[in-house]
Amino acid sequence: MKKCFPILLLLLTVSLFFLVYAYSQEDMRFINAEAFENPQRPPTVFNHDEHNELAQIEECNECHHIYDKEGKRVEDESSEDQSCSDCHEPKASGRKPALMKAFHINCKGCHKEKGKGPVMCGQCHVRRPNVED
Amino acid sequence: MIHFKRLNDLLSRKYWAPVSAVKEHKGEAMNTLYNFVSGPLAWVAFIIFFVGCLYRLIRILVLVHKKEKYIYTYMSWKYSFRSILHWVIPFATVNWRKHPVLTIVTFAFHICLIITPIFLLSHIILWDESWSVSWWSLPDSLVQAMTLIVIGSCIFFLIRRLISPEVQYVTFASDYIILAIVAAPFVTGFMSYYQWFGYQVFTILHILSGEIMLIAIPFTRLSHMLFSPLTRAYMGSEFGGVRHARDW
Ligand code: HEC
Ligand code: HEC
Ligand code: HEC
Ligand code: HEC
Ligand code: HEM
Ligand code: HEM
Repeated sequence: MKKCFPILLLLLTVSLFFLVYAYSQEDMRFINAEAFENPQRPPTVFNHDEHNELAQIEECNECHHIYDKEGKRVEDESSEDQSCSDCHEPKASGRKPALMKAFHINCKGCHKEKGKGPVMCGQCHVRRPNVED
Repeated sequence: MIHFKRLNDLLSRKYWAPVSAVKEHKGEAMNTLYNFVSGPLAWVAFIIFFVGCLYRLIRILVLVHKKEKYIYTYMSWKYSFRSILHWVIPFATVNWRKHPVLTIVTFAFHICLIITPIFLLSHIILWDESWSVSWWSLPDSLVQAMTLIVIGSCIFFLIRRLISPEVQYVTFASDYIILAIVAAPFVTGFMSYYQWFGYQVFTILHILSGEIMLIAIPFTRLSHMLFSPLTRAYMGSEFGGVRHARDW
């Protein structure tokens, strides 16, 4: 019995650690792939606030954009109350790219331009243990 | 499809990798290398592939024209296609029937080898991003199975070369190298897809090995892709038109 105690304690600590870990993740950590009918890849890792701070992106509408009727981006308005999928459909229409391509152009495009941030599939679509897709 | 999904899940790093493997370091040098091999180097590989194939085809036709012009006198579309048709159907020729296992493996191998990279989602996404062209893709889980078929077939060819006396006799070091060149993009692509370890390294190796394979096609024995239909057309025409016999 005495020998079991340290092991039990260890198990308890570990499970407590995982519990805390699981509950401390209220911030956005992945981009929801629900808008895709039959997702082929694990959802993208994206710590929303941390990312934008690290990447020093000031304007929300760098990503949450709004375009006027002529297809010009409206300078000081943003659309963070909407999902990308509210406007971007599975298929492209006119100059508006399809949803997957919209994400890829937006994310990868900037990373390539800046020479910083992930560009390979698996750097964004990370297969992780312990996290169900 | 259920089974493929299960296979996919089972192989997933989700179950296999230690948690520590998840935190990949974000190497900027790796990204620069990736951008280079998937950009300019891919251009180079595809240009060499297409121009090389064209060059080899034109050269063989010019050679025939100069040396053995009479071949043209009995080349026939009908006998050519009749012969090719027989040879591309499993077990439709005597030779295919003589070696049933080899026949099955050869057909499975070639079908997967050619279909997989063309209808692979990640390849199509890359075409779409750089050329805005896209086409229908296979589910990733099916591609996994086809990739394993290609890898398995390569192992089969390797073992055959190692143990079968009749093949050993005509085997050179270059045959092993060619087999490795063909297997490499599939092995590294598979490793990369599952992200077991060294994801970034395997992705870059994958692209490099794919490019090496493309470049090797026109200039090695892999050029049988170009020439085997021509050989069959020639044999078919000669057997059909001159000897009035079958070549299958
Ligand atoms: C680098 C691109 C980017 C920038 C910059 C950005 N966001 Fe987002 N944001 C996203 C993405 C992607 C989503 C997920 C959208 C989806 O699922 O359709 C999102 C979601 C959201 C959501 C909603 C959902 C949630 O789960 O939290 C809010 C609110 C939001 N962003 C606010 C902001 C604000 C405010 C700013 C500016 C300070 C901002 N964002 C800047 C990319 C960005
Ligand atoms: C209010 C609707 C709306 C929302 C929400 C929206 N978009 Fe767009 N987006 C558009 C329209 C319209 C266009 C086409 C603009 C044009 O005519 O060029 C577009 C174009 C794009 C383009 C191509 C042009 C460019 O900027 O390079 C990308 C990429 C893109 N959107 C990504 C996103 C992402 C990522 C999100 C979510 C964070 C998002 N969009 C949310 C309407 C929207
Ligand atoms: C306007 C430019 C820009 C856009 C748009 C952008 N990123 Fe980034 N991202 C960066 C920069 C710059 C870095 C590097 C930050 C650093 O390490 O200094 C980065 C880093 C990252 C990282 C690694 C650092 C971290 O936060 O873990 C991830 C993951 C990432 N981006 C995901 C995304 C995704 C997903 C999107 C699309 C929804 C996106 N990014 C859109 C500029 C951008
Ligand atoms: C910079 C980050 C980034 C990179 C690099 C990236 N993607 Fe994505 N991808 C996204 C985001 C964000 C989405 C939106 C939904 C999500 O979270 O998966 C997405 C969506 C997708 C989807 C549609 C949803 C699904 O799971 O079927 C596919 C397929 C996909 N990506 C494949 C790829 C492939 C293949 C590559 C490499 C050639 C790649 N992606 C590279 C960020 C990225
Ligand atoms: C120009 C060169 C090429 C580029 C840029 C390229 C790019 C890629 C990328 C980005 C992936 C996805 C990896 C991931 O999911 O993380 C991939 C997978 C794959 N590639 Fe390529 N590739 C190239 C050439 C080839 C060639 C020539 C072949 C085979 C003939 C090939 C076969 C495969 C296979 C089989 C997979 C998927 C493996 C799997 O999912 O099991 N690739 N490739
Ligand atoms: C559509 C065009 C093609 C045709 C008609 C064709 C035909 C053949 C035939 C008849 C064989 C002989 C099988 C045997 O008895 O060993 C063979 C073997 C082989 N082919 Fe192809 N092939 C084609 C394309 C390709 C391509 C594109 C590649 C790779 C890039 C390739 C790689 C191989 C390999 C590796 C072998 C096995 C060699 C060995 O035995 O070690 N083939 N092919």
